[in-house]
This record gives sequence, structure tokens and C-alpha cells, in this order.
Amino acid sequence: MTVTRRGVPTGVPSPALRRLPLLLGGLAALALCAALSLALGARSVPLSTVGDALFGHARGRDATVVTGLRLPRTLIGLAVGAALGVAGAVAQGITRNPLASPTTLGINAGAGFAVVVAIFALRLDSPVEYVWFAFAGAAGAALFAQALARRSGDIDPVRLALGGTVLQLVLLSWTSAVMLLNQRTLDEARFWLAGSLSDRPLDVLWPVLPTLLLGLVVALAVSPALNALALGDDSAQALGVPVARIRLAGGAAVVLLAGSAVAMAGPVAFIGLAAPHLVRPLLGNDHRLLVPGCLIAGPLLLLAADVLGRMVFRPSELEVGIVTAFLGAPLLALLARRVAR
Amino acid sequence: MTGAAVLPRTRSSSRTRVRRRVLLFTGSGLVALFVLLTVSLTVGEMPMSAGTALRALVGLGDAGDVLVVQQFRAPRAVAAVVAGAGLGTAGCVLQRLFRNPLASPDVMGVTGGASLGAVALLAAGASQLLIPVGALGGGLLAALLLGAFAWRSGLAVTRLVLTGLAVQAGLAAAVNLMIVRFPAELAGSALQWTTGSVYGRTWTEVWGAGGAMVVVLTVALVLHRALAVLDLGDDSAGALGLRTSATRLQLLFLAVALASLAAALAGPVTFVALAVPHIVRFVTGPPTAASLALAGLTGAVLLLGSDLVVQHLLPVEGLPVGAVTATLGAPWLLVLMLRQSSPVRRRQP
Repeated sequence: MTVTRRGVPTGVPSPALRRLPLLLGGLAALALCAALSLALGARSVPLSTVGDALFGHARGRDATVVTGLRLPRTLIGLAVGAALGVAGAVAQGITRNPLASPTTLGINAGAGFAVVVAIFALRLDSPVEYVWFAFAGAAGAALFAQALARRSGDIDPVRLALGGTVLQLVLLSWTSAVMLLNQRTLDEARFWLAGSLSDRPLDVLWPVLPTLLLGLVVALAVSPALNALALGDDSAQALGVPVARIRLAGGAAVVLLAGSAVAMAGPVAFIGLAAPHLVRPLLGNDHRLLVPGCLIAGPLLLLAADVLGRMVFRPSELEVGIVTAFLGAPLLALLARRVAR
Repeated sequence: MTGAAVLPRTRSSSRTRVRRRVLLFTGSGLVALFVLLTVSLTVGEMPMSAGTALRALVGLGDAGDVLVVQQFRAPRAVAAVVAGAGLGTAGCVLQRLFRNPLASPDVMGVTGGASLGAVALLAAGASQLLIPVGALGGGLLAALLLGAFAWRSGLAVTRLVLTGLAVQAGLAAAVNLMIVRFPAELAGSALQWTTGSVYGRTWTEVWGAGGAMVVVLTVALVLHRALAVLDLGDDSAGALGLRTSATRLQLLFLAVALASLAAALAGPVTFVALAVPHIVRFVTGPPTAASLALAGLTGAVLLLGSDLVVQHLLPVEGLPVGAVTATLGAPWLLVLMLRQSSPVRRRQP
């Protein structure tokens, strides 16, 4: 606690301390979701068996389901959710635009296009093979959007949002065009494009783990400066914040995080947009709290959506990308109703 | 800048210059439309001279030519023209209504709703003929959802745009769900419908949607004055005696109807509605009485031209026209964006 207090300017009551119960509550909810994600599904397993299976005490089909299928799925869900949530918070911070998210920067669309082209040209057929194509597509699209938005060395937030949206629409229509060229591509790609955590071995997590962690570190490092950025570029400059460099670093963090997420799970919309909007009413606008808050809220949302998708159409299941869009849409509509005046 | 539409101009020279540019733009647009229409009637599997094609259009000449021109080429061309005009006008109305350069039927979810309606009817096994009805119903459903969520003693701009994004995402998810769950061949057809295409339109569809479109377009042009007053800002418009929320709702409904009817003909063709208002503003400057009509004309030329590119210039067959409008529209929009990004920046809340 003394460490937290030391990081805050004197005279200001520590916001972290006041919000500590909320953060703990969020962590508890996240743990609950992870447990449910391990236990529930087409074949439900009692929580006690889940515990035994995790520590290697249990044998049999239930244990195999938990350790072989649900554990990788839950871990990937945690990673994807965390990456998307933090990427959303940073994207909204650097663009000062509450509508910004990895999706509006063209990241999901870029990954989708790259994967569809790879399926079409190279005849790939499993999510593990798509990982690097997805990451490359996401990074390419995001860097292109940021290059479009550069203006005398700095990234113009409005141009970034505009350019990203333009790029996203173009890439989406090219994706459809490639899919329409050949039936096999359509058949393979439509499931990946929905965004799903199922049938993903941990092999999709290891390659992108370094980029994911690097992105997280950069995001946490720039988050204090995002507070100054929220005051406007001129004020931030006057406060001694290197605006252009912060925005560049933030953009890099968004690319690393969202690129890793889409490489693992496919394009999952709305977590990056919804997580910051969910955290802001609870923790306030301070990015030092918002970014860690999204680190919890992102996986919480994603895992909850995934569990829900498994429960609705048992024994079949709904792709998590579809669930997040269905749930995120009314949530955002309600938030818009409350927040925007 | 926006006030220029209704305030008396102080410098008559700039006024004549704008008028000359508008006239020039209108003239070249009409010529381009005529040329493209003729090309679309003459070129194809059975090439014919322009004279033959025009005579076949009114039923003269070889019976085969008449069949090809009257039943295949003409409805497709008219569908593209009508849908393009509707999309262009809808985009123009929406961007001025929301004072947001990104507002368009795509952003608001109207086209998402239209795709959902079309795909849902496909899933139910309805005939191709009923699909435009589904698209129209879906577009109106999206608009109703938008109104239900965003209405709160008036329609504030930020809330509408945010809500529109939400509605759009929810409807797109429903479409996505169907594409994933469909058998493969139906999924392809659904995807075609969600990208936008005027392939295989018949006169029945064109007359229905086109007639409604003409009516709505006329109303939109009549309501132009209200739009110009709203451009002054809510407070000034209210002081001038305009009931801002009611007027905004009327204009919004008009734009939704235009976009849905267009989607009923061509599917949710992207970018026409987004790019056309930027093109018109770039050429003619601040909005004038003519800009709505010009947006319609530009949209028609753009969509017809893109459809010709899809049909005849591309080496691959069966591409949806939406892919081409996106590819053509994007660089345009980017150039415009780069040139005028400072005024755009100032308009952001």
C-alpha cells in the first residue's frame, strides 16, 4: 500500500486506494468466470472435479475434458480478453475518441483479409496455421491507418478514426470478394471470421505471448501520460508530455495487443469498445486505473460471453465473437443513452 | 461555413463562381450518366451498336436484342442508378444532420438491418423476389431500434451516432450467425447479399423500390430548407422557429427510407453513401440548395460506373459491386480527408 501511495502526487488522495475494493471485486468475478469456463459446457463437470483435474489428482473423461479442452480455451480467453480490453482503453485514450477501438482502427478487418487470402492462396485449414497471417494482417492494417493519420510527425486523432474506418470498410468488402471467388475458402473462413475460442490448442497462444506481454508493458507504461493527453494536445505539451511520442507508443501497444488477440481467436468485436465504457463509470477517467481495470474487465467480458455461448445452444455452441456482438450492442446502446447528452 | 447556405452572401463574385461550378458539375454528371447508361445497354455477351441498343430498348429491331436489352441490361442499369441516387442523397442528409463526416447508413446500422432482412428471408426459403421486401423491413427495423434507444426527450447527435454503431453491430452479428450456420451454398448467396450487388434484378423489383424511391427523393428535396436551417445549430434553428427534434426525426426517417430502398435494390453497397457527400462538398463548396440533388446524381453515376467495372473490366466474374465501390471510393475519400482534415478536426465535439 505504501508503494501505491508513493506513486501519487502529494496532497491528492490516492485514487487507487479508494478503488481497491472495486478492483478486488473485479478480480473475484474474473476468477468465478474462469472457474465456470472450466466447469460448464456440453459436458458439465462439478467444480470439485475441476479442482482435482487441475492439480492432476483426477483421471477419466471429465478430467480429460477439463485439462485437454477447457483449460487451453480458458487461458486463451483470458489472454485475448485482456489484450482486447487494454487495447481498447489505450485506443480511446490516444485518439480521445470514445468510439475508437481495435475494430475501428482496421485491425480486425486486416487480420480477416490476410487470413482469407492465405486460405485462398495457400490452402491452409487450421487456426494454428493462421496465427502469423492474422497478426501480419492486423499489424499491416493498423500501421497503414496510423501512417495515413500522421501529420508533421504526430498522429492526428480524427484522421486516425476516419482513416481506420475507411480502411476497415475496404478490407471487409475485399474479404467478401475473395470468399465469393471460391467455395472452399468461404467454407473454411466463415468459421474463423466469426471469432471463436473453440478448437484452439495452446499452440496458438505461445507464438504471440511475447508480443502480447510487450504490448501490455507498453500500455501500462503510457497510461499515466494518457491522462495529460485527455486535456488536449496543447495542454499536454504544456505539462511537459511528449505528445507525439506517447501517441506513437500507444499506437504500437494497440497493434501488438489487438494483433495478438485476433491471431488467437479471430476477429472478436466489441470487447475493446465495451470494456473501457464499462470500467469508466466504476473507476473514473484516470487512465492509471482505467487501463488495469480493462485488464480485468476485458477477460471478464470475454469469458462470460464464451460461457454463455456454450450454454445457450447446448450441446452445440455459439461462437464467442457472435455472442460479444449480440451482448455488446445493447450494452453500448444503453451506455450511449446514459453517457452521451 | 455551414451558415453560408441561408445567410445572404456579401460577395456576389463568389456566388457566381459557386453557381458556375455547380452548373458545370451538374452538366458533366448528366453527360456521364447518359454515356454510362448507353454503355451498359450496349456492352456484354451480345455486343451491339448504341443505335441498335436504344432501338431495342423501345422494342424495335431483332427479338433477341430486345430481350437482352429490355429484360437483362435495362433493369440492372436502372437498379444501379436508382440505388446510387438513394444512397448518395441519404448519405448527404445524414452527414449534415449529424454534422459528422463519418455518418452514413453503414455507420448507423440501416444497411446492417437491410442485410439481416434479406438474409433472414433467404434462410426462410423465400423467393428472390421477396428479398428486397425483407431488406426494406430490416432497414426500418434498424431505424426503429435506433430511435427507441436514442430517443430521450430529443435526439442528441453523439447519442445517435453511438447508438447507431451499437445497432449496426448487433444486426451484423445476427447476419454473421446465419452465415456461419447456413449450408455452404446458401452462405455464399447470403454473403453476396451482404456485400451488395445488382446482379439479376428484374423489372418487378425495380418498379416497386424505384417508384417508392422517387417519392421519397422528392420529399427529401422539398425538406431541403429545414436541413439548411438545422445546419445553423440547434439553438439558432430553434430561435428561427424550427422544432428541431421533430424536424430531425423527419429527416432521419427520410434518410433511412432512402437507404433501405437502395439496399432493397442493390444490397448494402458500401461507400457510396459515405463518399458522395464528400465529393459534392469538395466540388461545390458549402452546401447549397442544389447539393442534395447533386449528391443523388453523383451516387447514381458512381454506382452505375462501378457496376460496369464489375461486369466488364474485371478479369474475375461474379464479384459483388460493393467490393468495387469500396476500392474506388476509398482513395477518393482519403484524398479528401487529407486535404480538408483541419476543418473536419474542428467540427469534432
